[in-house]
Amino acid sequence: MTASTLTRDPAAPAAHRPGRRVRRRRENLAGYVFLSPWLLGLLGITAVPMLISLYLSFTDYSPLISLSDASWVGFDNYRRMFTADQSYWHAVTVTITFALVAVPLKLAAALGVALLLNRTMRGISVFRGLFYLPSLLGGSVALAIVWVSMFNREGAFNSFLALFGIEGLPWVNDPDWALYTLILLAVWQFGAPMVIFLAGLKQVPVELYEAASVDGASAWRKFAHITLPMLSPVIFFNLVLETINGFQGFTSAFVLSNGTGGPVDSTLMYTLNLYIKGFVELDMGYASAMAWVFLLVIGAITVLLFSTGRFWVHYSDNEER
Amino acid sequence: MEPITRGGTPAQRTTRRRLLAAALTVPLLLGAAACGGDDDASSGGKTELSIFWWGAEKRAELTDQALALYTQKHPDVTFKKTWQGNQGYFDKLATLTAGGNAPDIFQIDDNYISEYAGRGVTLDLTPYTQDGKLDVSKFPESLRKYGEVDGKLAGVAMGENTQGLVYNKTLLEKFKLPEPKTGMSWEEFINWAADVSKKAKLPGTQDASAVYQALWVFLRQNGKDLYAGKQLGFDEADMTKWFTLWKDARAKGATPTPDVIHEGNASDVSKQLIVTGKAGTSWVWTNQMPELKKNTEDELGLMAYPGDSKVQWARASLYFSAFRGSKHKDTAVDVINFLANDPEAAKILGTDRGLPPNTDIRKQIAATVTDPNMKQTIAVQDELGKQFGPNPPTVPPQGHSKVRSELVRVAEEVVYGRQTPEQAAAAYVAAAKAAIGAS
Repeated sequence: MTASTLTRDPAAPAAHRPGRRVRRRRENLAGYVFLSPWLLGLLGITAVPMLISLYLSFTDYSPLISLSDASWVGFDNYRRMFTADQSYWHAVTVTITFALVAVPLKLAAALGVALLLNRTMRGISVFRGLFYLPSLLGGSVALAIVWVSMFNREGAFNSFLALFGIEGLPWVNDPDWALYTLILLAVWQFGAPMVIFLAGLKQVPVELYEAASVDGASAWRKFAHITLPMLSPVIFFNLVLETINGFQGFTSAFVLSNGTGGPVDSTLMYTLNLYIKGFVELDMGYASAMAWVFLLVIGAITVLLFSTGRFWVHYSDNEER
Repeated sequence: MEPITRGGTPAQRTTRRRLLAAALTVPLLLGAAACGGDDDASSGGKTELSIFWWGAEKRAELTDQALALYTQKHPDVTFKKTWQGNQGYFDKLATLTAGGNAPDIFQIDDNYISEYAGRGVTLDLTPYTQDGKLDVSKFPESLRKYGEVDGKLAGVAMGENTQGLVYNKTLLEKFKLPEPKTGMSWEEFINWAADVSKKAKLPGTQDASAVYQALWVFLRQNGKDLYAGKQLGFDEADMTKWFTLWKDARAKGATPTPDVIHEGNASDVSKQLIVTGKAGTSWVWTNQMPELKKNTEDELGLMAYPGDSKVQWARASLYFSAFRGSKHKDTAVDVINFLANDPEAAKILGTDRGLPPNTDIRKQIAATVTDPNMKQTIAVQDELGKQFGPNPPTVPPQGHSKVRSELVRVAEEVVYGRQTPEQAAAAYVAAAKAAIGAS
């Protein structure tokens, strides 16, 4: 702040500087006052609870006892997680499977539809709206319930298959398939990344395509050599966001399995397992430890994605000119 | 530097600081006030008790009426009533407790009572029974004892039930099939169910391998038990027998396909296969009859689980407990006493939570009840009750709910053909031991 004062008004007499500072301070103060609802929220709802949960992760705290009665257990919770708890590793496997399959499919679907919708045509905004609709419903409980009834043995999907003489499986009640119905639900809600892709596509200069056309480039080459590189920052953004989202999937798994992660733990997502440990088995210390490991792992994955970014993400302002 | 040049006059600065302080503290105060609202509830001689239960709408209606009757008799006591469905109830209760805001009175069951009592959340009701403020003398002894955790009365049973096997009478009549009878052996029952599957083209029975209360009965018939104090009362050999029994039943075609068995393993009454029309019998508790009946057009029959029914016991279907941190402990206990023992209140409550715990009242209710399904519940429970043998189980230890959920998981591993009964038995004993922290 002082620096900016100096640079803006180097000729000002020294005696005047404090007066400016006072004004600045006043402004700052007003700023903080206006920020205070948000700051309080950040502290009260996010930062402080997070620190408390960090502390709890080293205790045997249960919601039924008071905080002060929780006893310190050191790294026991973490040790148990990594060495003794089979369900923990099972849930990790389920979650990674979910993210590895759902995220690329969702991004591909979003990009595919965005390409289709990126043209001028009568009523295109209606189509855009329709394709975005599923994600407006978000991670809603109602949607998951609809999904369950669509994909059980007597569901609409099997009736559809029956038209072709195929006898369907009880998808949501089959341990080999239940997770894939959840993946399908996640992929179907591709609206948010699609809209971002669409915005990204609008930014690609038309001249590039025109120049490529003059050179006789095929549609595929235009896509591979113009669209994808120009879109790479947007792809990267969506990839990071959807990966984080993918790891945090909870609602649909909870609804499909009645909160158990069944059938036979096939939909036991990490967050669902965490919920069961904390709120059903009342082992909140352990659940806190799980939450912190989760945070660190998602953080690490995000860092990893960022470090790969420099090999494939092209920011036009760095490269051009 | 001079303070004056830095921040205006001292007076100005303090005003601003105060403003800032006020801006920061007002929301905090508001928050604190919102939390502390209960403290003032008793001012002016008025007491507001919070009470929380799970159940369906019918239960809410009845409980509302019974509590209104209490307020009528004690105008200075009013209630803040909260109720919801079974799912999520215990999450909410745990969250309230964690925040120090547990309700003064809350409904609880044998899944969690040891959990709550063991951690000192529930009020020890034993002293109240000694000075006469809480009367449990008319309760059957086993039912009273089923509310004791570590020798302290942690909850007052609000209803009695026992294992009940419910079967579809309409279906059996339609296909001229015999009704199952209390006292059938497991083998006979499974053969009967296989016969139903064959003739009625509907699976004869839900697979009970994941039903903990069926396993419990089976164990007791074999001289074992689900628990022996705070240890497991069974071993791998028992579990192998159990899982094999049902594996054979599935091979005989007595049960539905795995996905339907999985559906029926949901605890929700409305998802029981008997009411969804996907099996001829379901494994329930006797007091669930009216609720089951509400979900189906068919006539339902009720009997004990297969094998020797003497091993069944009078179980507390649920309890009311008082919060140890309540500001109105005495009033809370008085309300619980009223709900359990007052003839008028009991008449309102009926058998919705199970048979009334007070045996005098039970007789009155049995004489006046009109609902045919309640009548059936009372008749079956009474008949079974006469034969209940000695040594009923005590209330399950901490970790019981995990013992139950693990049974569903492991039994389904066998149902889906992913594990043999032997593998599942070993896995289950290990998981159940870990759940109750036994050696």
